[in-house]
Amino acid sequence: MQTATVPAGDVLVILRHPPHGSSWLREGLDAALVAAAFGQAVSLLFQGDGVLALLQGQGPGPLGQKGTSATLDMLAMYDIESLFLDASSLTRLGISIDSLQLPASPLEPPSIAALIGGHRLVLTF
Amino acid sequence: MRYALLVQGAPYSSQASHSAVRFAAALLSRGHHLECVFFYHDGVYNASRLAAPPQDEPHLVDAWVKLNEEHGTQLQVCIAAALRRGLLDEREASRHGKSGHSVEPPFELTGLGQLVDLGLGVDRLVTFAP
Amino acid sequence: MILHILNRSPSSSLVYREALAGMGPEDRLLLVEDGVQGALPSQVRHFEGIGGRLFALREDLVAHGLEGHCDASVQVVDVDGFVALTEEADKTVSWF
Repeated sequence: MQTATVPAGDVLVILRHPPHGSSWLREGLDAALVAAAFGQAVSLLFQGDGVLALLQGQGPGPLGQKGTSATLDMLAMYDIESLFLDASSLTRLGISIDSLQLPASPLEPPSIAALIGGHRLVLTF
Repeated sequence: MRYALLVQGAPYSSQASHSAVRFAAALLSRGHHLECVFFYHDGVYNASRLAAPPQDEPHLVDAWVKLNEEHGTQLQVCIAAALRRGLLDEREASRHGKSGHSVEPPFELTGLGQLVDLGLGVDRLVTFAP
Repeated sequence: MILHILNRSPSSSLVYREALAGMGPEDRLLLVEDGVQGALPSQVRHFEGIGGRLFALREDLVAHGLEGHCDASVQVVDVDGFVALTEEADKTVSWF
């Protein structure tokens, strides 16, 4: 397995839940934005069903429930550009990386461990 | 060592709060300092002053308050997660025109930035989630 | 060394795979709450890549009636031992 070079940083936010079904994704992204707004170097790892957060063409939920794709568009404004996804999660769902709205780098397990090891604070959502 | 806990599960719905209280007692008995418990996601329900569990069940809200009284542990609640779930202190209740409040000291409504500060400032942050 | 904490059973949630993917060669995994079901001899094969670094919380095993059903390869610790594991780790990551 290849080991990609992953950055070190202050805060790694791991997002494991898809949009809409729960508030995990939204509240996880909020934590990432706040950490970045406080000047911390923030990385995101999309893992499990969380990779679905990156899919193009999402809409609002019931009653106009806000989705998270607009928040993803704001990440660059907050200087959150260190975006990763678990390659096996994407493969398991049969989704191609071309269907994603944001360029997140696919990682294999040794690099995922390196990413976690390289951040001072790891928050999972 | 200086510890902080992040609680993300609602009391009596998941084991997260019970596990966190148990862990808090154990770390204190090993001589560590518990600086803060931060409540986020459904964990904010731990701050409800109206919780009335049956007498033969552990009273989790009282357990948190006791940590504050006996060990000076701060009890911080994410304000954004709390307000949308109906957890308002007196100030927020009056600001939003509500007739009663559901959060009182020693629980304090605070921003998510506090969680980041804590996580980076203490020696160990341990998360208890549902 | 990082302490990973897992509260889901491998028979009901795939999050254990993500926890394992996130573990470095020295990292440890502690099973708590429903996660202690992973200590059953029928389930422990899911964790075979981390032999010697798999722990389960005694209080939760006892509460589930599983203490006597725990695989011999799993190191059982009480909550005091849980705190000790966090002391020895650089940080903790919770998987749920």
